[in-house]
Amino acid sequence: MEKYDVAIIGGGSSGLAALKQLSALGKQAILLEAGSIIGSKSISGGILYSKKLKKGKVTNVEDLYENFLDDAPFERKITKYILHSTSKDKIFSMDLTAAHDYQANFGCSVLMNKLNSWFAKQATETSQKFGGGIIPGVHVKSITWNDKGRAIIHTDEIDAFEVKAIIAADGVNSEVAEMVGARSKFTSEQLYQGVKVLIKLPEKIINERFGITSSEGAAHLFAGDITLNHIGGGFLYTNHDTLSIGAVYHFDSLLKNPVEPYTLIDTLLRNPMVSELIKDTVPITKILDKTLSQEEQLKTRFDIAKLIKDWNDIRGKYLTSACEDPDSVKAKLDSIEEQMTQKFGITFGINHVESEYGAKLIPDGKRCRMEKPFFKNILFVGDAAGRGIFIGPRIEGLNVGIDDGARAAIAVARALDKDDFSESYLGEYYSQLIDESPYTTDMKQIDKDYLKIFLDAAKDVPSDIIGSGYGPILKLMSSNTFRGLVIKFANILGYDKLLPLIETENTYVKVPIQLAERLGKITSTSYHPKDTSIGERISKLSYNDDHLSHIKLLDTNNEFMKKIVVLCPAKCYAEEGEKIILQHEGCLDCGTCSQKTEWRHPRGEKGIHYKYG
Amino acid sequence: MIKGISLFINTYKLNFKKNRIAELNLAVVVKLEPDLSAGSISYNPDGTLNRSKTKNTLGPHSKIATQAAFYAKVKYGAKICVGSMSGHAANNALQIAMETCDADVLHLYNDPSFAGADTIGTAEVLRKGVEKMEGTMEKKMDIVFSGHRATDGETGQTGPQIAWKLGLTFLGNVISYDVDLEKRTVTAKRLLILRGVPEIIQEIEAPLPVFIAIDPSYKYHFNTVSLRLSAEKYKKEAYEKAQNYQQYIHTFNREELGAEKTLIGLVGSPTIVYNVQRVPKGKAIRNAKVLDGSNPEHIRQTVTAIKEALSAMVIK
Ligand SMILES: Cc1cc2nc3c(=O)[nH]c(=O)nc-3n(C[C@H](O)[C@H](O)[C@H](O)COP(=O)(O)OP(=O)(O)OC[C@H]3O[C@@H](n4cnc5c(N)ncnc54)[C@H](O)[C@@H]3O)c2cc1C
Ligand code: SF4
Repeated sequence: MEKYDVAIIGGGSSGLAALKQLSALGKQAILLEAGSIIGSKSISGGILYSKKLKKGKVTNVEDLYENFLDDAPFERKITKYILHSTSKDKIFSMDLTAAHDYQANFGCSVLMNKLNSWFAKQATETSQKFGGGIIPGVHVKSITWNDKGRAIIHTDEIDAFEVKAIIAADGVNSEVAEMVGARSKFTSEQLYQGVKVLIKLPEKIINERFGITSSEGAAHLFAGDITLNHIGGGFLYTNHDTLSIGAVYHFDSLLKNPVEPYTLIDTLLRNPMVSELIKDTVPITKILDKTLSQEEQLKTRFDIAKLIKDWNDIRGKYLTSACEDPDSVKAKLDSIEEQMTQKFGITFGINHVESEYGAKLIPDGKRCRMEKPFFKNILFVGDAAGRGIFIGPRIEGLNVGIDDGARAAIAVARALDKDDFSESYLGEYYSQLIDESPYTTDMKQIDKDYLKIFLDAAKDVPSDIIGSGYGPILKLMSSNTFRGLVIKFANILGYDKLLPLIETENTYVKVPIQLAERLGKITSTSYHPKDTSIGERISKLSYNDDHLSHIKLLDTNNEFMKKIVVLCPAKCYAEEGEKIILQHEGCLDCGTCSQKTEWRHPRGEKGIHYKYG
Repeated sequence: MIKGISLFINTYKLNFKKNRIAELNLAVVVKLEPDLSAGSISYNPDGTLNRSKTKNTLGPHSKIATQAAFYAKVKYGAKICVGSMSGHAANNALQIAMETCDADVLHLYNDPSFAGADTIGTAEVLRKGVEKMEGTMEKKMDIVFSGHRATDGETGQTGPQIAWKLGLTFLGNVISYDVDLEKRTVTAKRLLILRGVPEIIQEIEAPLPVFIAIDPSYKYHFNTVSLRLSAEKYKKEAYEKAQNYQQYIHTFNREELGAEKTLIGLVGSPTIVYNVQRVPKGKAIRNAKVLDGSNPEHIRQTVTAIKEALSAMVIK
């Protein structure tokens, strides 16, 4: 049996950070990733933060990847951060850029397929020097231990091998955690469901519409009627030449009032402000003349496809800031448009161009971070350890996972030096490092200065909207001295008791609706997007179908599964009579149905393959 | 001290195949084909394919042949030379081939007299090509790979004809293979399809050198961590090399190849492909009858029906 020092399971941003850090420390590590290439299973919102924290130090992305700011394919640095309360066509907006900037060096929008594959390239370069590297397309299915306490990794694709330590970075639906019994599955109370669409829009149109330059970016957050009465909200982030638009809702609240995830996305897209931001010019082709011969029809179809492809390429080129010779490119574009209209009767209309749809569960670190993030010689990092910060509209899972990965690497390197992988030497030391992380503090306690930003932003809001219950507390909190006291008291109570008071329908739905209705501005749009059917969305995705299902139904007739029929973002479930049936093809590996099923990730290389993430 | 040794062993494991004495020498013959994907294809006003405007790519079957060569490179260590007969000087098929199999040498056989060749005329050029490769690399080839057939109207004869001309044992429809470097033999699995019979997989052993025509269903599989890691290393090396693939191309015209005028091109081609037609699909005529598995009478009926169906299939 082959032997290696360390195995990292999962090639998301957390696992890759662990590999990069371990290699930087001169240690050998093998990273196993189920997707056929790194990044193909990754999906995020997402804004990646780099933090400068008052209390303590974290490993930021640019600490680990020194050339990050110069070379990494991130999208845009976010410079505008605005929260919108919505009610029909009325919108009340609050500038929360101060909340975004709070203790941050920067926060940039990212697309995880591209970014993770860049991380992988950097990590591979260093890890190969020490006999390590990345192996994609391999799904870990079980772990056993030999009599020397070494872990044996069993996979579906390659022969079993032995390692001294494992870093489990296998994400929110961690099979490692479950198979070894390190923790039970996360409950609906501890999770959010995130659904996202990627919309194409040329760079210059984004700049103009969002009032930014190419080196700037905007983030818009939404609450109010777009939530369809759920706890959570919507987001819209500008990328270089795409928009990431998503809906993130508390799983408990979705179970209470099940609505299809794609309906939640469509509701957001139909908000007049969002519709106005996503619309674009698109070519509309005529129906082919059916009297033509089959061959003629095929040839015409190919010709049209080629013209549209050229039109897209050249228009994209014309509408970028990097376009060197706009006049000649414009002339080319005009000539193609002329050919399109003259030769094939193509017209131009308004639509939005959706390129990718995806979903994943998100752990709420306040509720589900692992108190003991290790088991034997396995350390859990990032989403797998239930870590991520969810305060206000800001989600921080990427930066927390990167820091966790670095901490786990330090603990493992120390254990390798002493050749001691016992829980007391490795696990507990890692646990200590994690406890010292300022991120862990953020998952436990309210930060009064961060809260002040929200209070300041809301200071002109009439107190009757906030509601009689919160009024006096808010008044107290607006005073600098009392705020300190109130927060101290709140932190003694702890998040367990506070969350049911803060994260309520009042906060996410009722108050924003009232704000919009009373203070909001009417926003109008001439573009009313048609809903995209789920079939259409799924058909645009790439899959490597496995004839074996990675999900097994346990009980086909229970209340939870009936709700999953509605809540599965890919509509894989259906009710047939009294029974629930599953068709696993089209599954997005999101994990929404995992609580009451025997749930695994698909085998290596199988299943969904995201192009953007 | 101990750490140093374990590190050494692991790096040794990865590099050791590269330094093996009995490294294999592999040739892959590939075909540049029009890229038939939407947006890449272009037509002349008269409706025929505009070859110069349509983008070209490595034919899908050729690509599988290069993947098969890559397997040997990773598993046994190998020098690979990829050769292609083509009228296009800017041959990005060779670039894709290089990226797929981490080729060491690229050969382009390009001469106006090669035009209009049928399978046997093509086979002659490629046979000369393989001999030229042996000259360039100063080694005899151990395995020559080709795709199953081309997608743009070829009949799957080129491979066997090159093998025949080179005097090599021909193994067709190969779905997996392995080499015994000490015995200098190859064991291969071949997929045989006979009408009325489920797929047959034939396992054969042959002494090197051989000619392998790879089946479209071939997919390599590396089953250990060390093989996977070295595959990743080679892939990276291949990607980097392929960015400057032109540096690796050796171009040969007819004269340089030493090909006989009468055996190549239109002159050397006794056949022309006039038309290629798909085998028409049979009409599905299915008479479904619902049978109950717990009913003995129904089971008897099923057995009789199967017997009748089987007796109708006479395999000669
Ligand atoms: C809609 C949405 C919006 C978000 N927005 C933000 C945001 O704005 N900012 C932010 O910081 N965070 C955001 N997050 C959270 C963030 O995306 C995650 O916290 C982060 O991606 C977690 O990274 P990870 O490496 O821990 O896990 P993952 O990225 O989930 O990686 C796990 C990897 O492990 C692999 N794997 C799993 N099981 C196995 C196995 N058995 N064998 C081999 N491989 C396996 C998977 O294929 C996957 O590649 C968002 C998440 C979602 C869904
Ligand atoms: S089947 Fe389950 S894991 Fe797959 S998309 Fe649906 S809810 Fe998500």
